[in-house]
Amino acid sequence: MPNPFTPIMQGMKITFGHMFKKPVTLMYPEERPKVAERYRGLHALKVSHNKAKCVACYLCPTVCPAKCITVEAGEDDNHNKFAAKYEIDMLRCIFCGYCVEACPVDALKMTGQFELANYRREDFVFTKESLLEKK
Amino acid sequence: MVTLTIDDKQVAVEKDTTIYDAAKKAGIHIPILCHDKKLKPFGACRMCLVEVEQMKGRLIPACTTPVTEGMIVRTSTPPVDKARKLVLELLLVHHPLDCPVCDKGGDCELQNLAYDYKVNSNRLTDEKFHHEIDYNNPLIERDQNRCILCGKCVRICDEIVSRGALTFINRGIKTKIGTEFDGPLSCEFCGSCISVCPVGALLARPFKFKSRFWAMTNKKSVCGYCGTGCSVTLGVKDNKVLTTIYDENQGFHNGQLCVRGRFGYQFISSDKRLKTPLIRKNGTLVETDWDEALATVAEKLKLSASKSAAIATPRMTNEELQLLKQLMLQHVGTKNIDHSAGYAHEAVTEGLAKSIGVAASTATIPDIQKSDMILVLKSDVYETHPVVGFEINMAVKNKNVSLHLISDKRGKLSRLPGANLLLCKPGSEVTLLNSMVNVIMEEKKAALDTIPPDFVTALSAFTPAKVATECGVTADEIRTLALSYAAADKAVILLTTGLAYPGADAQLAHAASNLAILCDKLGKEGSGIIALQEKNNSQGAIDVGFVPAQGGANCHNILDGCVDGSITSLFIAGENPIVSYPAGDRIKKSLEAVDFLVVADLFLTETAQLADVVLPVSSYAEKEGTFTATDRRIQKITPVIPPVGKSLPEFQLYSKLIKLLGGQPALTPADAFSTISAYSSISYSELGEGGVFVKSEFKPTLIVPKTSNVNIEKGKFSLLTGAALYHCGTMSLHGEGTVAVCSVGYVEISRSDAEALKIADGTDVKLTSSSGAITLKARVSPRMAAGVLFTPYHFAANSVNTIWSGSIVTGVTITK
Repeated sequence: MPNPFTPIMQGMKITFGHMFKKPVTLMYPEERPKVAERYRGLHALKVSHNKAKCVACYLCPTVCPAKCITVEAGEDDNHNKFAAKYEIDMLRCIFCGYCVEACPVDALKMTGQFELANYRREDFVFTKESLLEKK
Repeated sequence: MVTLTIDDKQVAVEKDTTIYDAAKKAGIHIPILCHDKKLKPFGACRMCLVEVEQMKGRLIPACTTPVTEGMIVRTSTPPVDKARKLVLELLLVHHPLDCPVCDKGGDCELQNLAYDYKVNSNRLTDEKFHHEIDYNNPLIERDQNRCILCGKCVRICDEIVSRGALTFINRGIKTKIGTEFDGPLSCEFCGSCISVCPVGALLARPFKFKSRFWAMTNKKSVCGYCGTGCSVTLGVKDNKVLTTIYDENQGFHNGQLCVRGRFGYQFISSDKRLKTPLIRKNGTLVETDWDEALATVAEKLKLSASKSAAIATPRMTNEELQLLKQLMLQHVGTKNIDHSAGYAHEAVTEGLAKSIGVAASTATIPDIQKSDMILVLKSDVYETHPVVGFEINMAVKNKNVSLHLISDKRGKLSRLPGANLLLCKPGSEVTLLNSMVNVIMEEKKAALDTIPPDFVTALSAFTPAKVATECGVTADEIRTLALSYAAADKAVILLTTGLAYPGADAQLAHAASNLAILCDKLGKEGSGIIALQEKNNSQGAIDVGFVPAQGGANCHNILDGCVDGSITSLFIAGENPIVSYPAGDRIKKSLEAVDFLVVADLFLTETAQLADVVLPVSSYAEKEGTFTATDRRIQKITPVIPPVGKSLPEFQLYSKLIKLLGGQPALTPADAFSTISAYSSISYSELGEGGVFVKSEFKPTLIVPKTSNVNIEKGKFSLLTGAALYHCGTMSLHGEGTVAVCSVGYVEISRSDAEALKIADGTDVKLTSSSGAITLKARVSPRMAAGVLFTPYHFAANSVNTIWSGSIVTGVTITK
């Protein structure tokens, strides 16, 4: 029969060991986590020349497995295509990142923003204005 | 028959078939960019290269090479694939690769082929094109940078549409598709070029950026404008009709559409559609629910009983017309029902019915291409029924059919190669036809053995020499035309009926029938008379019998009865008489005078605004039923989208009214269809795609037609009314595409008159007749004869019915 104290000692060793290590627990929200670069949080529409880069090609709503993206294209004064409406329903989004992969003009990215809680369902539908990349 | 082997498959095909068509028949797909079923082989893209055993050493274009006996063809071998890949690379050197913003993405043949052949890099480089994009017209956008020069647009515009608006210009690397003098596109905007463009070089602007092709569902239907009965495919997304989609395998016309069919679909999903019933309370129309609206209508109709009347539009389905007829005749108890202003169906219900013994055309539209001779009475066919115009064009150009026209104005048909136009004085068509009959009888060319002597005597006065001046043509022209008609093996006579064509009356139909009867050109393939009717179900309304029952009042009398009190309740289903019937003021007075007016329509039309109850009904895209095309082809439609708002398909609307009045309506359109006696030989379930023709029995009778006495005072112009190419009835004014190219009324005037009166193109002119005056834009047109004016009737603003009271020709003065 093995020594009954051995497992306890081993456990205590880990416990005491942690007392001298940097703590894993974050004192959220006072302390902020460091989000990895490739983290898939809230989407952002990239901006270039003060305009969203999105050309409303409809590839992201097509590839989206959760069907949470709504795009409506418009024609601007120079007859160019732009997204007159760009909405993502975050309640349906599964953050798979296919939309970013599908984008042919690199107009979409996923940010590290993960705090998406809200009080009303309709507030989870992010419009184009709220999705525009914040510099 | 020729037998050949394609990819180890034995195929037997006709002698003149190309390898491409033979492969298609065998179910083998050869990639191609420059081919369309309707167009002649061209061989522009070189994608269809194949290997032929007997022609080793080079690759053979499948689309231009005819098959030969024992040919062994391989459509996909490593050298073939390598060559095709190179072709694609060459095409993609200059192609802009802007697929994300190109509307053709997803439906682009070049994109698909590049994907199939895995062309993801290019060994060749060159600068892209920098052509200016043509945004000059509201319907067709031309981006030459994307063009791959397959020439399909050029060919369809020439071979089928016969407009020739596009052509190749410049040479070598600078070749592009250009317009006349490289200016803005000047054409009739049928959009055929867009439909065949394999890439995004030609795009429909009304649909631009609206949706991707893959996001839409394609739903088949039948066009709801004219009587040709073209099949259409509608692109539907989120219960909205967004566009029409081309399908080269659809219908007798192989998917070919006119400007109205292709660009006039917006009325279906228009924001202006009526969505709730309206009822007049304290003088204004307010929204109400169906229960109140229907209860009021039922009560009032019951109260008026034999003093009620119904005027319907032949845009409704056969089943709906049948139910409305049942409602009025059996449950309301009136015989006063009519459609199309009463006179627009006269050529068929009176003319053909008496002359031929059946109230329908005796030939079909496909007969046009099988004929030897086409005689068109009034050359408006290209404007009123553009797709029939395309058929005539193909018959003339591809089948060497001779084309003859008797008309009061020139038109696109008279410009076809070899077209023989007898430009007659307005209103003299019947006299001219009588004279032709006279010539045939005099020269003993009639195929009929016994001609009633009184008929011969009655027409003996119409010798070409006597009528020539009255008709404004030479005696020789009449004689030659008569003799060539008699000599032709097969001949088709076309005439156009409609609200704006009072001249196409029973007399004209009698006169035309006499010709056909005398020369035995009825009831055989490629021969007969086609009365081209105005609306999509004009023939159906006749077949259903939506005409005054024995002793009932016709449209004219119904409207008069509204004023004198013999009609107290009027049900107008879909018509807009204030705008589309002649003598608008009189119509307005009648509608204001009638005690109770119900209007069932898609929109709050000028007529609906006067109504006591307005019932919102559904467009053809929202209902089930059948339409009978002008050549008696019955086609079935099924709902493409659910009814807009609270609108009801008329079938349900009349069912409810019949129930309210204690009757028992047919439960389904199929049940209603089976009660239509004219269609007793056809079952609803057998109506597949393409429809079924109703067979008719003829009983020809020679009837002496009465000639109309057209008296235009000296110094006055002869005003002709008609339809514009861009419109059909008043419904097309709710289609944004058609309105974008033709939004206001105009008057066409000959060059010589314009010069004499110093009227420039586009200036406002005032037309004054005995009944009123209107101001329209002048259009100086080479097609008008001196002293003759033409104006279309569709428009509510400055409506022509202010000055036109229904006569064949109206005398007007024209001032600046």
